[in-house]
Amino acid sequence: MITHELIERIEGEAVLDFQTDKSGRVQEAAIRFLHFRGMEAILEGRNALDSLVIAPRVCGICGHSHLIAAVRMLESLYENAGYPVTLTPKAHALREITLSCELIQNHIKWLYLVMLHESGKLLGEEPPVALKALYVTSQVNQLCALFSGQWPHSSYALPGGVTCDPTHIEVMQALKILSEVERFIKDEVLGCGTEIFESHMKNDTLGTLKGDFGTLLHNFERLELLESGKSHGRFLVLGNERIAMASDVRSNAQPALVSEDASQTFENGGKTYAKNALYNGEFYEGGPLARALVQERAGISDLYRIHGDSAVTRLCARVEEMVLLCAQVRQLLTSLDLSQRSFIPPASIETISGTGIGIVEAPRGSLIHKARIEKGKIMEYSIITPTQWNLGNGPSGNPGTAQKAMIGVESIAKASLIFRTFDVCSVCTTH
Amino acid sequence: MPSSPAKLKVIWLQGITCNGNTHSFLNDPALGTLLETIEFIHHPLLPCQKTLKDLVKKVPKSDILIFEGSYNAAFERAGVEMRTLLPALAHKAKHIISMGSCASFGGIFKENDPEHISGIVFDKENARGPLKSMQEKVITLSGCPAHPKWLSFVIDMISAGREILVDEFRRPKELYAYLVHNGCLRNEYFEWKVDSEHFGTKEGCLFYAQGCQGPFTHGSCNKILWNDVSSKTRSGTPCVGCTEPAFPKRDLFTTKTYMSIPSEMPLGIPKRSYLALAGAAKSFHIKRLEERLIDDHA
Repeated sequence: MITHELIERIEGEAVLDFQTDKSGRVQEAAIRFLHFRGMEAILEGRNALDSLVIAPRVCGICGHSHLIAAVRMLESLYENAGYPVTLTPKAHALREITLSCELIQNHIKWLYLVMLHESGKLLGEEPPVALKALYVTSQVNQLCALFSGQWPHSSYALPGGVTCDPTHIEVMQALKILSEVERFIKDEVLGCGTEIFESHMKNDTLGTLKGDFGTLLHNFERLELLESGKSHGRFLVLGNERIAMASDVRSNAQPALVSEDASQTFENGGKTYAKNALYNGEFYEGGPLARALVQERAGISDLYRIHGDSAVTRLCARVEEMVLLCAQVRQLLTSLDLSQRSFIPPASIETISGTGIGIVEAPRGSLIHKARIEKGKIMEYSIITPTQWNLGNGPSGNPGTAQKAMIGVESIAKASLIFRTFDVCSVCTTH
Repeated sequence: MPSSPAKLKVIWLQGITCNGNTHSFLNDPALGTLLETIEFIHHPLLPCQKTLKDLVKKVPKSDILIFEGSYNAAFERAGVEMRTLLPALAHKAKHIISMGSCASFGGIFKENDPEHISGIVFDKENARGPLKSMQEKVITLSGCPAHPKWLSFVIDMISAGREILVDEFRRPKELYAYLVHNGCLRNEYFEWKVDSEHFGTKEGCLFYAQGCQGPFTHGSCNKILWNDVSSKTRSGTPCVGCTEPAFPKRDLFTTKTYMSIPSEMPLGIPKRSYLALAGAAKSFHIKRLEERLIDDHA
């Protein structure tokens, strides 16, 4: 039997076409995205610096990642053209801080607005609006805005640095906000200190976890989904480390091995606007789980050894990343040297021709911006988003990462929940 | 005890969008208080009474219809085209809020298909959108995105039954009579015509070289601060004019000049007056404004 399921309460909407057996168990699942905006075409023909204003508008929840990808693309262009751009450690750190804020707020929204809500609904216990979570994400975004001017849709990063010139006033405010966010994660999300959380991961005793994440795991346990959601076990990180992992073997990842496959799209007779992103011709998973495994972070690696890439590991990786990012933001804030310059002017963009590539670890995985520029003008622009990796739509027999995770799940409703563990974003996928 | 007044019923519908206005709205730290006065029949992310599928099946009445994103007649939500869905919802709504520049004027996404994409009332500056005949009940909140407090202000005014004074694009004057320039921390540099040599400093005005559109862009960005703490210009980024029908213009980080002065004047200022004043101001070379504000840099 084939059922079309409209998936809402994601960024935009998606359609899942489920093929089920007599008992309702999922045999195949096609993932389709029906909206397209033509962001690349909008960028082409413009001044290359305009990408810093246009690109963030790819996505309302991860636009800052698109800003940083665009600015890295421009800096790589300068370098390829023989004009390397230098960033002070301060400018570099500020970009890391604001980017991390975007990931933290994304993960909190995913946990409360999507996972706790949808898993509760499936159990007949729909929770009310998660106001406490939205308050804390507004605070995380405020921390970001102390430096970036606003969130969403800042354009504060330019080739050569950042536009802001903060004082200790902003840094002290940021540290105060960060303390509140850390307290929220401990008291509300985890219900315990971060060391205890880590030991629960290492000892595989997450079942005893209180807090809202404990509730989510409990919901998954009641739905008998904790061990579901296993996929290919292939992971890719291109933004910071460049490592690919397949069958637990690690190798250096080459951006040159990334390709886009448009075989399932409307223009080729398919049923979606989304192109698949492939590495070395195969589907890989990106995002928090991939990042934790590639960095061999203890807790998540321990869970992976026991539970593989099942729902419990994938859910936990996104929560663990919040904890890690808060610690990193604290470290960056306390070691900022404000006497360094924010911005070192590069050569005029009108003198620059060539190609550039910028890669960022965005909330959902590796985000790639590529462009060809002639005398400061965008001739070609290409964006590959993280969700093109995770939500790829393969043909029968060669399922994408989330597709494979849904196969074998006992009902459509439960498979749709597994789909959401990947943190679905429709607007990014088709852009 | 007096019974509390009925909550306003609100529908939030998205056209062609990045979800930026949805996430901007979620930044309102007083969201909980706002949700005591409204209830969402439908919202794309928050818990609500009806899914998109329910919504298109039987179009409900509402007190406020909030539309986010640009309009294309053929764009579908839950399989229903906007040419059908939007007017149906709009007819049954008492008030309509055009949330963000895409919904208001077409915005960035219009660029991909200028012939078919517009705002709901305005197409750039022309009133030829699908809801032009009902524009009397539309409030425009342009901006990319619109500020959450601009939205909660309009909802509060509707809730209180007060009249909202609007400008030619139906933007509330109390929000858009100001220019982004008003309240900018760099105003003194503007007054004395001291430009910012380059990005990344606290000093200097961004109007002369860096492309800042603050002096001719309507918006209260430097009165009602972003995320309660900052704004583009306060963080050294030029205003990109995102509240205006012409957004997005081109070459956003460079000021176009004519005879070495900005070719676009501060709003309502004749070029001759500007030249006379600028010439005088520049001749003074005020030392304090040419030095670093805080002597913490090499």
